[in-house]
Amino acid sequence: MSHLSEDQLDQIIADERARQQAPLNEWRTIAARAREEGLIRESQSRSWVSGRPWIQAAAAMLLLVGGIAIGRTTIAIPGSVQSSNQAQQIAGSGGTSGATTASSIAGFASVDDASATLERALRDYERASAFLAANSSGPTTVDSSGIYRTRLAALDKVNNAMESALRTAPHDPVINQYYLATMGARVATQQMAARPVGLALRGF
Amino acid sequence: MPFDQLDLKRAIAGDERAMQRLWSQHAPHIDAVVRRLCGDPELAADVSQEVWMQIFRALPSYRGDSQFGTWAHRIAVNRTLNALRKIRRLAKLETDIEDDSALTEQDTDRTFLAESIEQAMARLSPGARAVFVLHDVEGYTHGEIGEELGITPGGSKSQLFKARARLRKLLGHLVDESIPVGKGKAHVAPV
Repeated sequence: MSHLSEDQLDQIIADERARQQAPLNEWRTIAARAREEGLIRESQSRSWVSGRPWIQAAAAMLLLVGGIAIGRTTIAIPGSVQSSNQAQQIAGSGGTSGATTASSIAGFASVDDASATLERALRDYERASAFLAANSSGPTTVDSSGIYRTRLAALDKVNNAMESALRTAPHDPVINQYYLATMGARVATQQMAARPVGLALRGF
Repeated sequence: MPFDQLDLKRAIAGDERAMQRLWSQHAPHIDAVVRRLCGDPELAADVSQEVWMQIFRALPSYRGDSQFGTWAHRIAVNRTLNALRKIRRLAKLETDIEDDSALTEQDTDRTFLAESIEQAMARLSPGARAVFVLHDVEGYTHGEIGEELGITPGGSKSQLFKARARLRKLLGHLVDESIPVGKGKAHVAPV
């Protein structure tokens, strides 16, 4: 029976040493363990969000917009229909309560009615984002313009992806609403980036 | 993006993204040594989790005296050997080092031909595999291996000799596949 020579074995060992191998676990597995042991601290991992309440508000609004968009796809499902006036009153009052908003989803008389409310909500979102950014009590950074530039660049990428998705599914209501939400976030960020230092919005 | 001092501080503070960067950069090497020492992918995956938990727990004690990868590598080797001891896979090596423990089972060379060195290493006993991996792949000296495994340097040399003989036999069929030899001989030969 053949045997490798010592040199041949050494060569194989050298190759093995240099061989790149994938990790044995996925990060989410490691992270779950680390979280269980308290090694990952949510306050650290998310401090950049928790220190800026307007980001939380913007994120909540995006979730709301997504929820409304998904609601549009199920508009044909029968449900208790309330008057559109009532729904408009709720949306128009600037209602920020999740329960109030949820009840308003079921209260649209038509798709057009819901769409109009959604457009108002998007406009409100832009204004609210700008207001909260201007009046945030959280810590401010010296190079906030850099943050806005970075965010704008990231939003541009999201925007490109959404435009690509729109070409694939031009009439899909969910894709359309996410596209609008992205555009809204972009406009709000542009407003914040253009805002002179120290200038606070006077009203909302 | 390379892991740096700022990431280290953030990882110590429990920042998940910093910890993930650390893991992404070092997991291929750290997990490789765990995989080789265990010789069993499923066991290695479990042990790797323990290793990474230990690395994260010990982060505050890292003083920067050595490269981070070197420091983490030591933890990986210690933790893996401890795990193997717990399941008594090294018991034979530590109690009966002079036996021919390079063989993990009946000599079945006539029917088994390893396709890779990883497969061949899995045929070694855990103790012999540990000595071979630590010496020939990871570059430990026999003295260091003796300290890690609780054996004498002479016992380590003996195990290495037997392990290499066994591997040359298991991989013998590769002789005809013209393995290039002599281009930058890379045999690690610490003593």
